Amino acid sequence: MMRNIYRYTALILFFESCILFSNAQSIDKENTNAQDSVFTNSIGMKFIFIQPGSMIVGKFQPTVYKTSQSSDSVYRVALEMAKHDAMPGFEVIIKQPYYIGQFEVTQGQWEKIMGTNPSFFKGDKVKDDAGQHPVENVSWNDARQFIKKLNEVEKAAYRLPSEFEWEYAARAGAKDDISWNDIRKTAVIATTTTSIIGKKQPKALGLYDMLGNVWEWVQDYYNEKIFADPVPPKKGKEHVLKGASFYGDVKNATYMTHAAGPASKYDVGFRVVMEIK
Amino acid sequence: MKIFVLLFMVTTAINVDAQTGKIPEGFTSIFNGKNLKGWHISRSTHQGTTPNFYVENGVVIANENPYGQGGLLMTDKQYKNFELYIEVKIDSFANGGIFLRSNEGGAAYQVELVLPGATGDFIGERIQLSKGAKATDRQKVWKANDWNSFRIRMVGDTPHVTLWINDVQMWDVTETKNDMIAQATEGMIALQCHWTALYSPAAGNGMPLSSWQPGATHRYRNIAIKKLN
Repeated sequence: MMRNIYRYTALILFFESCILFSNAQSIDKENTNAQDSVFTNSIGMKFIFIQPGSMIVGKFQPTVYKTSQSSDSVYRVALEMAKHDAMPGFEVIIKQPYYIGQFEVTQGQWEKIMGTNPSFFKGDKVKDDAGQHPVENVSWNDARQFIKKLNEVEKAAYRLPSEFEWEYAARAGAKDDISWNDIRKTAVIATTTTSIIGKKQPKALGLYDMLGNVWEWVQDYYNEKIFADPVPPKKGKEHVLKGASFYGDVKNATYMTHAAGPASKYDVGFRVVMEIK
Repeated sequence: MKIFVLLFMVTTAINVDAQTGKIPEGFTSIFNGKNLKGWHISRSTHQGTTPNFYVENGVVIANENPYGQGGLLMTDKQYKNFELYIEVKIDSFANGGIFLRSNEGGAAYQVELVLPGATGDFIGERIQLSKGAKATDRQKVWKANDWNSFRIRMVGDTPHVTLWINDVQMWDVTETKNDMIAQATEGMIALQCHWTALYSPAAGNGMPLSSWQPGATHRYRNIAIKKLN
């Protein structure tokens, strides 16, 4: 009998220890992946944590909009042409988590790091606090200089997002294109100046102004095609721009748009990615 | 002899659209008739970033590419005060325009090119014009299915703009203010091929087919400029 009690006690202890070990493993795993969903650096730049995942890039399903002005024969030709030029896109896997700027880099943040403000829309060119407008009139190399100095100040690993990191964050899980209604809610477009950051509704992950306000530089060279290739070119004349600007249209203020510099300078800024080490 | 006559007729037919080289006195050509040197495609306009602008028989031809994606062909140089001379031949149901003082993203003053419709009207593209103008007498001088010449004079920080079609003045207007973004007083000359398709039906319907009917083209030749003080 006593032997049986010892046996049962030993079994219970074994199962309990298994449960405890299992819990400890899951806590460790949670701790390993635990990241704050929002991070703020020393100059007030806010970042949102982005989990790894996948998306389809460059899926082209051109619309054909028939009205009474067009005949059936024209409509049929248009359908054929649209079908011929449609593209299935390709899967992009984001393997590493990262933080991406919740907002575009502001003039105030640029000034804190660089000591200057190259923007056009400042002073009497805007009616409110220009310091909270996105910095613009910055080249791709200017943006990289800012990031280099920011890394020295913060002792962190900031950089421009890749085009796919930018688009993945902007899509926030959306498999298809964004509707015109949602563009109008979230994007500063069809106006005459930049706007204070964060005035429109955020995207699903809490990111503001991904569409509109200023075009945003990303790391990649431009391939001179309508959409990105699975692997960006190693060289090129220009770098890719994403997101359209304050005078953009619902046509191109979508996360699918694959544009390129130089644009008009006063319409180009950027946001920053912080790597997770 | 008959063969030579036939060859001459065929050659003449092929080159009926060719650049004639006839530009008004005092103007300098900004299109060489061979290629698009001195011009570039906008990569940041909503019209589309991969249009098919090409040169054939001395003529610039504009087409969408891929289906539904238009674009802008722009001068590399910027112009402030100038007269522009350009000859155009446009298909019906294809919306284009001559952009003036355009920025790289295609915000500009525009002389509209669309049939049936408001060809010759002075409108804004991504900007709101304080006055604008209508070419109400355009039909009186228009040559259907043929080349038509446009001469556009633009001067002043607050632009004073005049349009002649086939040497007949259509309108003369002074805007009440500088309507351009960032108060720009100079910009590029650009030729527009309108978009029709969105990337996906999830975004919306897009533009009616009549905005740029399949296979439609706009053609341009004898493009020249006279800079003014």
